[in-house]
Amino acid sequence: GRSDRYFKKKKEKMKRGHQDILHGGGGWYAVAPEMERGKRKTTMGAAEEGGDVDELLAALGYKVRSSEMADVAHKLEQLEMAMVSSAATNDDALLSHLASDTVHYNPSDLITWVDNILSELNAPPPPLPTPQSLPSADAYDLEPLPALPAPATPLVLGSDPQSEVAPSPRDRKRMKVCSSPPSSSTTTDAATSAAAALPVVVVDSQEAGIRLVHALLAGAEAVQQDNLKAADALVKQISLLATSQGGAMRKVAGYFAEALARRIYRPQPRGGVGCCSFDSVAFDDMLHMHFYESCPFLKFAHFTANQAILEAFAGCRRVHVVDFGMRQGMQWPALLQALALRPGGPPSFRLTGIGPPQPDNSDALQEVGWKLAQLAESIRVDFRYRGFVAASLADLEPYMLLDQDADGGGGGKDEEPEVVAVNSVFELHRLLARPGALEKVLGTVRAVRPRIVTVVEQEANHNGGTFQERFTEALHYYSTMFDSLEGGAAAAGADDGGPDQALSEMYLGRQICNVVACEGAERTERHETLAQWRGRMDRAGFEPVPIGSNAFKQASMLLALFAGGDGYRVEEKDGCLTLGWHTRPLIATSAWRVAAPAEDPLSALAAR
Amino acid sequence: MLSHSPTEHRVPSSIYTVVQPQQPTMAMDLSSAYEQQQEGRVEEVFAVINDNGDLLAEVLGRLDGRSLAAAGCVCRVWAGVSRRESVWEAVCGRHVEGGAAAGAGARPVVAALGGYRRLYRLCLGPAADRLGAAARLSLSLSLSLFSIDCYERRLGRERGHPRPASLLFLDHYNPVDVS
Repeated sequence: GRSDRYFKKKKEKMKRGHQDILHGGGGWYAVAPEMERGKRKTTMGAAEEGGDVDELLAALGYKVRSSEMADVAHKLEQLEMAMVSSAATNDDALLSHLASDTVHYNPSDLITWVDNILSELNAPPPPLPTPQSLPSADAYDLEPLPALPAPATPLVLGSDPQSEVAPSPRDRKRMKVCSSPPSSSTTTDAATSAAAALPVVVVDSQEAGIRLVHALLAGAEAVQQDNLKAADALVKQISLLATSQGGAMRKVAGYFAEALARRIYRPQPRGGVGCCSFDSVAFDDMLHMHFYESCPFLKFAHFTANQAILEAFAGCRRVHVVDFGMRQGMQWPALLQALALRPGGPPSFRLTGIGPPQPDNSDALQEVGWKLAQLAESIRVDFRYRGFVAASLADLEPYMLLDQDADGGGGGKDEEPEVVAVNSVFELHRLLARPGALEKVLGTVRAVRPRIVTVVEQEANHNGGTFQERFTEALHYYSTMFDSLEGGAAAAGADDGGPDQALSEMYLGRQICNVVACEGAERTERHETLAQWRGRMDRAGFEPVPIGSNAFKQASMLLALFAGGDGYRVEEKDGCLTLGWHTRPLIATSAWRVAAPAEDPLSALAAR
Repeated sequence: MLSHSPTEHRVPSSIYTVVQPQQPTMAMDLSSAYEQQQEGRVEEVFAVINDNGDLLAEVLGRLDGRSLAAAGCVCRVWAGVSRRESVWEAVCGRHVEGGAAAGAGARPVVAALGGYRRLYRLCLGPAADRLGAAARLSLSLSLSLFSIDCYERRLGRERGHPRPASLLFLDHYNPVDVS
């Protein structure tokens, strides 16, 4: 009856304080005739013994002390669980017993009533219902989950292989936010919220996956609405649901749950450091290195940027590359080799590497330069190197980047001027954390008059709108990234990618943590889409340089070499190249040059 | 009956061994051999391949990578010849888009980065396995990957890293170990 539905909602509110939770599963069964009293208002009798009574329930005729509410809710859930599972097996014995006339307990004293019913049940754990075949989860198109053996936890998780939908990955649509529950599902409901009270619960892992996504999105909404208690409960639910998943989904959910938890429990930023426990730059570099080695994203970035730089340097005898994120310098050996073998021979090559300050005062930047110099020497490329330590790219000034060496050959005036290329791989988005920083940096770049500026960025908007929108975007994006890591490992015939994959996931996990848990100047992973970057570069006075077909061919060939290469897609879009996993582009390489200046500043002014 | 040259490692001063009826075989140079043949004093002129490294190299250079690596297990002469850079250069030339001509000028760079044998083992061999007959790696891509490997080895030497890993993504198909 209506009172039943109200009560169910009230119970949910008590436990989770939030109404959007997907709550599919069995309906509420009328237990005893007394429950069908409907909305008849009964005035409360004399004041109850002990604490005050919940008013809303009292209006319905149920006496429940406020202090007992959580307990009652919990027990009612257990009762529901038992009833639903018996209903699923069409076992009427329980229901008919409960509905019989033999014993009636007055449900107005709710806590006693539910205790009595539960003790009366005295039943062994409900028989495991066979999982129903779910409707094809086309609204949620999650990755088909491999049937996992049940882990040794209180939850017994199984999935009927026949009931798993196995869509072709290429046709898979991405998840959509949907608040209506899936229909016609009769499997046990909200098993996770019953925690350890029930000895055995069966959850279909695919449905659990849907619930997991819902719980994640609900958690974000709760945080958005500053409902931290609800968010906390949801985080626990997410963690529990995540154990029912395998592969990418479990890991992604784990990272997002952790990030949410950090956001809930540590709202104050701590002195400008990232939201990760282990903050050393060396650790970061190590993760970056494993990410470089195990998956193609960084290699793609380097190869495509190098090709654009190589083409821009055609015919030039003196060239200068400025690298905004030097790290280990992995991008440059390939360019040096290409320059060494280009028709007409190698140019005179200068490299300026920018890097963050190292806490242990080691001179990693110089070391890297030295190694590159050795390589350049072995292939007979004239090489000069300069390293700059800068906490932020905005600290750079043009004079630092311009050629100051008067001894670069004696006759300074006779020599060709340097041709400059500026290269930024996943560095520009950090500048958006401080207002004005990007503009300053782009101004500095303009001031050195580069022949080409290569920019590689994540193809996602993790910087706009509300927290909830950001969270949802990030969930889509990183799910795809993790899928691609899994896909690579699977295609290579490995059960998992080993330590490389785990470390790559950790590398991505730190980004997730930053996107979700940090704010303000701390939140440096402010990814924006290619379209957004186009706008920014345009406003800063740059025009796009199309990346040629050579780069496309080379990138495609490179991706073909990767196991799991089938899943990766290289696409060309308006002169830029993107690398994605199936239909989702994940990173984009673009090239720019300083836009031709307006003919006459005065006339341009008059035109305004 | 064949008699082998006294030592396998002697640098062959003669190319052909000559058989005369009921006489032991003799080693001599090519012109003498033909002279004797003209005079009808020999039945057969042949060469012992192990005496002639260049000839052996020509032959082995036409093998595919796996066979060449296997050939290196035959005997010491073959092991020596099969390790020659020129032999592997020929093999690499056949696995690269554009053929051997494309790579002609690359020799000093390849040598500096680690040599053709290593180039095949790390890049071209695994790529051929991965791509099959469908496609060939471009020289520039293979050398780019090779240069990354070379650089990683330099980096690794300082830090004691076991092995450069950037090219391991090619490794999953168990390439032939030609080392």
